[in-house]
Order: sequence, then C-alpha cells, then structure tokens
Amino acid sequence: MNKTFNLSTIALKDALWLTAGLILAVSSIIIVSYGADSIVMGVHDTFHDFRHAIGMPCH
Amino acid sequence: MDDSHLKNGILVGFISGVLWGWVSLLSNYITGIGPIEQGFFRELLQYSIGGAIFGMIIGCLFLLVGSRMPFKKILPNAVVLSVFFWLALRLGGQILSHENYARYVTDSAETIQGFVLAVVLGCILGAFWKTENNENG
Repeated sequence: MNKTFNLSTIALKDALWLTAGLILAVSSIIIVSYGADSIVMGVHDTFHDFRHAIGMPCH
Repeated sequence: MDDSHLKNGILVGFISGVLWGWVSLLSNYITGIGPIEQGFFRELLQYSIGGAIFGMIIGCLFLLVGSRMPFKKILPNAVVLSVFFWLALRLGGQILSHENYARYVTDSAETIQGFVLAVVLGCILGAFWKTENNENG
C-alpha cells in the first residue's frame, strides 16, 4: 500500500484541488447514474444503456 | 505529499475505469441484461466516459483511504472500496425508486450485474495499482 497519502502531510493547495476534483467527479457520476436531466439536459439519454448495465434504476 | 502519487492515482483510476467501461459493455452485450439501443461508437463512448468517471473516483478514494483499509493486500481493498461506492450509489437509486417508482424502476438482474461489475472494477484497479507499485515503488 505504498501509493496512498498521509493526510497530515498534504499541502493545502493539493488538498483543495483533490477535494474540488472529487466533488466534481462524484457530482458527475450521480448525474450520470440517475440520469438527472433537470441538472444536465440530455444526460439521461446519453448514458441510458450504461446506467442500466451498472444496475442503477431507470424507467 | 509526492505530487506524482496524486497524478498516478487519478491516471490508474482513469485507465482502469475506461477498461472497466469496455468490460461492462461486453458483459451487457453477452448477457443481454441491459438494453443496447445506440450504435457501437456511441455505446463505446458512453461506457468509456461513465467508466472513466467511476474509475477516477475509486482511484482518488483509494489514494485517500487505501492505507486505512482493513486488508493488507491491495486487491481486496480496491474491491471493497469499489463495491462500497457502488452500493452507496445503488442505495441512492433505491431511495429515488421509493419516491418515484415510475421513473426509477429497479431490476434485479441489472442490480446483480452491477454488483459483479463493481467487483470487477476493484479487481482491475487493484491489479493496475499493484503493477504500478511494482514498477515505480
């Protein structure tokens, strides 16, 4: 388990980038997984088959 | 913090995720559990992008909590993390389904396939992570 962070040694700038990136990525996967057209228009149809394949509920 | 660890973690997650997306597409094609409604390249694109996002999240999370995971080996830890994240997403879907079943219909076969694919993502990520460690660490 070499390539993991020691959280206490992360520089503030890197921690902010990592947090922002994670929030963006998690938001993206939530929008994709639930087909949230109300947030991003067309995402439901664009990722429809992927959503079914990974077992997320859809119509 | 070594900046290369962050970049490598995200890159390993990205590559694993794209590969996992292709495996998911192949699995769905073979089992026929989920629909295949678009052309090959559009299918490949949506699975690649979706897989890349999923993989990068697991890669980032593994960077952050990998050293605090219960197992000593990388692979089972990656599987646990991947399955845990998939379960969290699926639980959210279950809540949405409870609120609006007509819009969010659950399917047992798709759920089982999704669970198995989450295990597969953990295996792919763990294998890449180990390879990357052996080469550079």
